[in-house]
Amino acid sequence: MLKQSPAMTVIVAAIQVQIGNRRIFMASAMQVKVATDPLVRLDDVHLTLVSTAGAVNILRGISLEIFAGETVGVVGPSGSGKSTMLSVMAGLERATSGTVTVAGGDLGRMDEDALARFRRDNLGIVFQSFHLIPTMTALENVAIPLELAGRRDAFAAAEAELAAVGLSHRLTHYPAQLSGGEQQRVALARAVVSGPKLLLADEPTGNLDGATGRQVIDLLFALQQRGGTTLVLITHDAELAARCGRVVRLGDGRIVGDSKHQAPRAAGAS
Amino acid sequence: MATLALALRLARRELRGGLRGFRIFIACLALGVAAIAGVGSLAAAIGEGLRSDGRALLGGDLELRLTHRQATPPELVWLAREAEVSTVANMRAIAHNRANDRRTLVELKAIDAAYPLYGALTFDPPLTADAALGLRDGVYGAAVEAALLDRLGAKLGDVLTVGDAMLQVRAAIRSEPDRGGGGLTLGPRLLIAAGALPGTGLVQPGSLVYWSYRVRLDPGADTAAFRRNVEAAFPDAGWQVRDYASASPGLREWVNRIGLFLTLVGLTALLVGGVGVGNAVRSYLDGKSETIATLKCLGAPGRVIFQVYLMQVLALALGGVVIGLALGAALPPLLSGLMADRLPVPARVGLYPAPLLLASAYGFLTALAFALWPLARARLVPAAGLFRDLVAPTRLLPGVPYVAATIAAFVALAAVAVISAEERRFALGFVAGAAASFILLRLVAALVVWIARRAGRPRSPYLRIAVANLHRPGAGTASVMLSLGLGLTLLVTVALIQGNLAHEVEQSMPAAAPAFFFIDIQPDQLVDFEALAKSVPGVTGVEVVPQLRGRIAKVNGVPAEQVAAGPASRWALRGDRGLTYAARVPPGSTVVEGQWWPADYHGPPEISLDEGIARDLRLKPGDSLTINVLGRDMDARIANLRRIDWSTLGINFAIVFAPGAIEAAPHTFLATARAEGPAEEALYRAVTDRFANVSPIRMKEVLATVNDLLGAIGRAIDVAAAVTLLAGVLVLGGALAAGHRRRVYDAVVLKVLGATRRDVMGAYVLEFGLLGLATAVVGGVLGWIAGWIVVAHVMTIEWVALPWVAAATASAGVVVTVALGLVGTFAALSRRPAAVLRQS
Repeated sequence: MLKQSPAMTVIVAAIQVQIGNRRIFMASAMQVKVATDPLVRLDDVHLTLVSTAGAVNILRGISLEIFAGETVGVVGPSGSGKSTMLSVMAGLERATSGTVTVAGGDLGRMDEDALARFRRDNLGIVFQSFHLIPTMTALENVAIPLELAGRRDAFAAAEAELAAVGLSHRLTHYPAQLSGGEQQRVALARAVVSGPKLLLADEPTGNLDGATGRQVIDLLFALQQRGGTTLVLITHDAELAARCGRVVRLGDGRIVGDSKHQAPRAAGAS
Repeated sequence: MATLALALRLARRELRGGLRGFRIFIACLALGVAAIAGVGSLAAAIGEGLRSDGRALLGGDLELRLTHRQATPPELVWLAREAEVSTVANMRAIAHNRANDRRTLVELKAIDAAYPLYGALTFDPPLTADAALGLRDGVYGAAVEAALLDRLGAKLGDVLTVGDAMLQVRAAIRSEPDRGGGGLTLGPRLLIAAGALPGTGLVQPGSLVYWSYRVRLDPGADTAAFRRNVEAAFPDAGWQVRDYASASPGLREWVNRIGLFLTLVGLTALLVGGVGVGNAVRSYLDGKSETIATLKCLGAPGRVIFQVYLMQVLALALGGVVIGLALGAALPPLLSGLMADRLPVPARVGLYPAPLLLASAYGFLTALAFALWPLARARLVPAAGLFRDLVAPTRLLPGVPYVAATIAAFVALAAVAVISAEERRFALGFVAGAAASFILLRLVAALVVWIARRAGRPRSPYLRIAVANLHRPGAGTASVMLSLGLGLTLLVTVALIQGNLAHEVEQSMPAAAPAFFFIDIQPDQLVDFEALAKSVPGVTGVEVVPQLRGRIAKVNGVPAEQVAAGPASRWALRGDRGLTYAARVPPGSTVVEGQWWPADYHGPPEISLDEGIARDLRLKPGDSLTINVLGRDMDARIANLRRIDWSTLGINFAIVFAPGAIEAAPHTFLATARAEGPAEEALYRAVTDRFANVSPIRMKEVLATVNDLLGAIGRAIDVAAAVTLLAGVLVLGGALAAGHRRRVYDAVVLKVLGATRRDVMGAYVLEFGLLGLATAVVGGVLGWIAGWIVVAHVMTIEWVALPWVAAATASAGVVVTVALGLVGTFAALSRRPAAVLRQS
């Protein structure tokens, strides 16, 4: 049972790293619990938005489980619901029906402020358009999540993270003074600085040229592996999706393919 | 606290983006705060002038004033024993320059050697009082206001006749310390020595002479104790006792009242500016929606986001308030120099914290009242907007606490306006009117948008664009109508009030008013006077009534000082009033309650009282007033109440005695006469030639004095109202700036599709014309209603609709709107399409 779990690789790695330590067994016991409980669980999630043009059914019964440490590429045509699914996982959008559980928390039961705190403690998000705050320096942009969490070492940690993405010489620069690739690296640093359990990336190379995009993606995977973080990556790029351990394909608000589960009907079944 | 510190940090970082978009915000607040702080500081400076110069203005620590009679020897002995005393007599008289036969009414003042007890009397040339006024070669001297020399064509050294006396003008008065403490002056000052007064022959039984006994107490002596002692020693003296702290209650009240009115006009400017504040905050937060969404994605709770932007708004409000306070505080030094001749007392220029604090409170409360709503809505910015373009409608209403806070800020604003005003009913009326105007304008704006939305599809594409611009999302229709509409409402109101006052004074009054009031006609001169007046060709309507002065001492047995009097009756309880007696209802009066006495009434004293005073003092027929006449208290029963048409300016008295009560007291007669053109001058000369002691008061000069005063007040109000319109223009500018990018894009697309600049301009003219027209109509109608309420129900004078005033003022609004709108969009027309389209 355990060996069939998608989180198995991580657990083995964890045990291997910690061999010789008296706490091996406790650590493995915890990992077993995580492994049996998916980090992300969407259960028959529907989402309908109402605009002036009328109601639009964006998600039509998404069921999906993502386990800790997985890297999941989400692909599909424009309008298939990829970004919306990501929004639902981030608690930015409320499902019209169905349940969304992330890191053991039922997002449907949280109010706006609880969701904000949940994101602060568990999530890192990378956007296609970077979404850095223009009035803040690179260092301040990266420090915000830690400042929001009340961390006293916010700026020291942010500086270290910027150094990790190769931007220690750009600490006091404002977004407008940075290139697109640099801005996305700042955004990456901001997403991982608080050590999130789940990293959500929405077409992070969409606004970058090919070479810069590749550098950013390499960095993204390096950071993900460094922290053993679970990564959900939306992309139009099949090659990039292939770098993920698992690829989920969306079409018209439904999961139409899952590389772990070949048949669409099995998608999301645990 | 940690959250607040974080919010403060983030707010500081956000403000690095600069003040773009907040210039209007700051300008609106600064303008309103400056107006309020300026008016308040000026009023405080004058008030402080009144307070600090109180002793000089009053002429002593205390003043005991008698009308008609002088203090008795025992009273004088008592006063001289207790303090240093100075005696001053004031009356009106005619000064005659026999060299050229020119004559004019003067305010005659006779002073003793002890005058002034406080302050300094100085002359030009710098003579001593004795040298200027004393007896020299058998002739007393006189010092005069410079204006009198011009009026009489006289120069220093000339001899004037006053009554029976010859007086040599030896000096011009440079400063007279108690000059500002008097009431309305009808002529220039003529100052003589007390010793010269008997020689004039003007002081006769019943003459209208005000005898003032000013006292200077030992330093540290208790004025209240002195007052109690003098009232205990001479309980029936009938003198009016005032101390230096209330040297000029009428003047102080007047300054306060004008100050309140101008403050409320300033508050309107601030409210108009508040719309601009709200727009600026809304527009700023719209531009910040991505940042807000990002912060939410990073885990910032709504509370932190609210705090971050609230702090920015407060910081910017602080900037606006500080600029406003600086401008406002600078106003008194600037104005007091310019207005020195107009001010009754020298303003004490200085920094007065109270009006500045009040203006700050108004500024911050306005900023909060108008900013809280958009701030609260910032919380609702959907973070998911970062992932997708599809816009799901957000909740329109912020949460209950924010709605409550917004309402609380508006209520606090109203409460400050009412509580800080001395005339709270007036302030309350203003608040109610402003609120009603606000709501009505907002509703009409919504109606305009609604109509524009349903206007169908006009055939002209430019009319279609114009109509669409009125209702499209983000259109500034509501805010422009609200702000300009409020400004226009106030302008129309002020214009109508001034128009009505001018109409009342210039047209209705002179038509019915007599040419002269003649005062101090002695009983033995009455027959001759009437005969003389009637003998002058062209003179008509000679009316004569007995007159003496008396003071309301008690109201239903309660001392007048302890009676809570409203504004309509305060004047009647303050000081002495003219009294008369009559067998029949005087012309211009109507009995509205109670019964008029029989013509041959002979019974206990009864009076007829003005209805307005009675209502204000809650008196009715059957109640009693105690009137002190010549030092004697007289209890009189109120027999009836009269409605008096004061506007005819005929002879009328608030208090009329029934026959039998006061005829025996020494008194004089008051006469009026109508005359025009040459007859007026002939009457003037005939009376002054024949009766040296009778003083004619020319109504034209009184009206000119009143007009002059009204003109000065009107100019002050005009300036304040213009500030309000300026605030409206700022808001309009802000609304245009907010939509500028969209306008540039629209203009470019239209030009790409073949529209000429004239075509696009035509669409804009239509749009602003429609907006201006709707605003002008609503502002005009609301202003007209407000003007009618103030004129007909607050001032209770005859209402003249003056539709052209309302129409002209409102039309000016249309022109301003269209002109500014077009200036604001001119840049949009001149942009080159390719550059704009590349950027898009």
